[in-house]
Amino acid sequence: MKRHLIGAIAAGLTVALGVSGCGKGSSSGGDDSDGKTIKFVAAIYDDNTKPFWDALIKDFEAKNSGYKVNLEMVDWTQMDAKVKTYVQTKQVPDILNYNAFSDFARDGLLYKASEVVSPATLSDFTPTFVEQAKFNGEQYTLPFISSARLMFYNKDLFQKAGITDPPKTWADIKADAQKIKKTGAIGYGLPLGPEEAQAEFFSWAMNDNGGWVDSSGKWAINQPANVDTLNFLKDLNKSGLTQPNPESTDRKTVFNQFAQGKIGMAIGGPFTKAGFITPANPNLNFGVTSLPVKNASSQPNTLGVMDVLDAFKKNDGKNKEAVKKFLDFFYQKDNVSRFLAKEGFLPTTKSAGDALSSDPYMKQFVDALPTSKFAPTSNPAWSAVAGAVKQSLGTSVADKDPKKVLDEIQQTAEKAS
Amino acid sequence: MKRDAGFRPASRPSLLRRIGRALVPLLWLGPSIVLIAVVVLWPVIEMVRTSLLKISSSGVTLGNRGSANYTDLFDEDALVPVVLRTLLWVAGIVVVTMVLSLAIGQLLNARFPGRRVVRWAVIVPWAASVLMTALIWKWMLDNYSGIVNRVLLDLHVIDKPVNWLGHPHQAMIWMMWVAVFVSLPFTSFVILAGLQSIPGDVYEAARVDGAGAFRTYFGITLPLLRPAVLIASIINVINVFNSFPIIWAMTAGGPGHATDTTTTFMYKLAFYDQHVGESAAMAVVNFVLILVMVLVYLRATRWREEVR
Repeated sequence: MKRHLIGAIAAGLTVALGVSGCGKGSSSGGDDSDGKTIKFVAAIYDDNTKPFWDALIKDFEAKNSGYKVNLEMVDWTQMDAKVKTYVQTKQVPDILNYNAFSDFARDGLLYKASEVVSPATLSDFTPTFVEQAKFNGEQYTLPFISSARLMFYNKDLFQKAGITDPPKTWADIKADAQKIKKTGAIGYGLPLGPEEAQAEFFSWAMNDNGGWVDSSGKWAINQPANVDTLNFLKDLNKSGLTQPNPESTDRKTVFNQFAQGKIGMAIGGPFTKAGFITPANPNLNFGVTSLPVKNASSQPNTLGVMDVLDAFKKNDGKNKEAVKKFLDFFYQKDNVSRFLAKEGFLPTTKSAGDALSSDPYMKQFVDALPTSKFAPTSNPAWSAVAGAVKQSLGTSVADKDPKKVLDEIQQTAEKAS
Repeated sequence: MKRDAGFRPASRPSLLRRIGRALVPLLWLGPSIVLIAVVVLWPVIEMVRTSLLKISSSGVTLGNRGSANYTDLFDEDALVPVVLRTLLWVAGIVVVTMVLSLAIGQLLNARFPGRRVVRWAVIVPWAASVLMTALIWKWMLDNYSGIVNRVLLDLHVIDKPVNWLGHPHQAMIWMMWVAVFVSLPFTSFVILAGLQSIPGDVYEAARVDGAGAFRTYFGITLPLLRPAVLIASIINVINVFNSFPIIWAMTAGGPGHATDTTTTFMYKLAFYDQHVGESAAMAVVNFVLILVMVLVYLRATRWREEVR
């Protein structure tokens, strides 16, 4: 009997292990200690990204003989998993193009910004973004690109529904959505699925004086203004003024429908035109206006988003020289503005700012930047909070109680801090 | 067995030689032992070790955390529903797959013109990547442009588009169907192999004794298929338990945790909640669950008497 049992356990183990125990993890090593070869992990924004970096690196290597940059392109959907693997297996790249930095800074993995770029480059960053790049009062990362959000609306649908002015307030949004619904289209496209629930929610909450933290910087996710915001969005959903199931709809779905002229209003960014509207329906007659406010008397804010370049400490600082050379090379005005123009993003440096303002579409976003409010990315707990928001915030406009959902996220935030 | 002259039992071989002889089998067993140790045991040890560590959100290991990761895991409100859903997911898929495969296996075993083509056709879902199959189904079920809605609208079964993957219950049923769909080829071919190993004279004897088709199937075919059914269902249980791509591609476990199984929940703990240690604890729990399920199943079916 005993032998049978041991046999059975052994057989069970082998079968179970064979299938469940397979770990994943592939990482290219290539640890160069001469300090002249660096590894740069860049995010794929679209099809133009890789050709841009390839050309830039070729140019850099030609002008700095002996230096070499190994480029690795990573898709945004893979990025978080990859970055964790890099850190855990101690194979961090020298430079990482990412959207977070504060937990690396807290764990002592990053150079200070002043160590890896020249003073001239450092002083070229726009102060708003420098503030977002600080951890404990010290700048640890380099603002790379930025983006802002505005309200997009379909002018043809507005005309059909008999609406003359772009929406300014929350009440306008609801009233306009009702009119648009009568024409058979969807009034407002509300993406609260996991792709970017945190951005959509914050775009609304900030214009009701809500947000992630209170004035002292403490987490205030379950504050009354936020509950109020979710109740408003829930009402839009329950009144049938949004697309079905906002809790599982991603931004790209909403913008594909908007591009096809089936949605009246949706919040988008500078990338929305080149990424969604032009490829699907270049003749779409749309307008862009500020984000709607709860109180007609208050000033509209916009959601600011910033991606960064993180410079990792490696080989006792031997890589610093090469990293600095490459970063200073990239942050030259022409290189930065070429990247921004290709990808449809907003600048983080003063010198590249002027180049974009000549395009009337982009100018609206550049002009909105000074009113930007940012997610608290300089708080190391933010990525856990954003993760919790992505997973569960959407359920509050479906069948869960908004207050309860926010309470849970607040708990996650306090636990992670 | 014939022995060499030097190994006559009368003269006892030296200790060294005896050890040497005892080690000889290692030459043959060695590579597979090393293989098992490296690709099977080592990752499991790593997994258990990680579940006891404190790992920061950036991925840096900050030291030992004892059982705190497990406490965090068992404090999750979502855990119990997720585990129950996983069990339902596994049971539902495996039972439906086995029943359908028994029928398909029978069909593939029958002689009819074009059998070769049908056999190939059954293999196709197996050859296609699971992720691809899941994505294709996701688009077929799309609220706005999916073909499923189009067909049902044209047939007047529904009067407005249904967002199939937006509702947890419907989404779960559709995903289980996709999982059945991708499990069918393997399972039906195992059944087919089992059917072909049943000797023809047993059936002949049954016919002589006057057994009808029904009696023959339940009296002879099914009992003799037991080993094949056993193997196929164990492998399916493990596969389905660990199935990640279908759920991840179709609903990502959402809305909330409403369509999560332990595998997607584990992923979310690590990459959404930034809690690698707790995720590893979930992995250990998942592993133990599979182990227990397989053992219970083996005990219940008394496999040792069947698979020799």
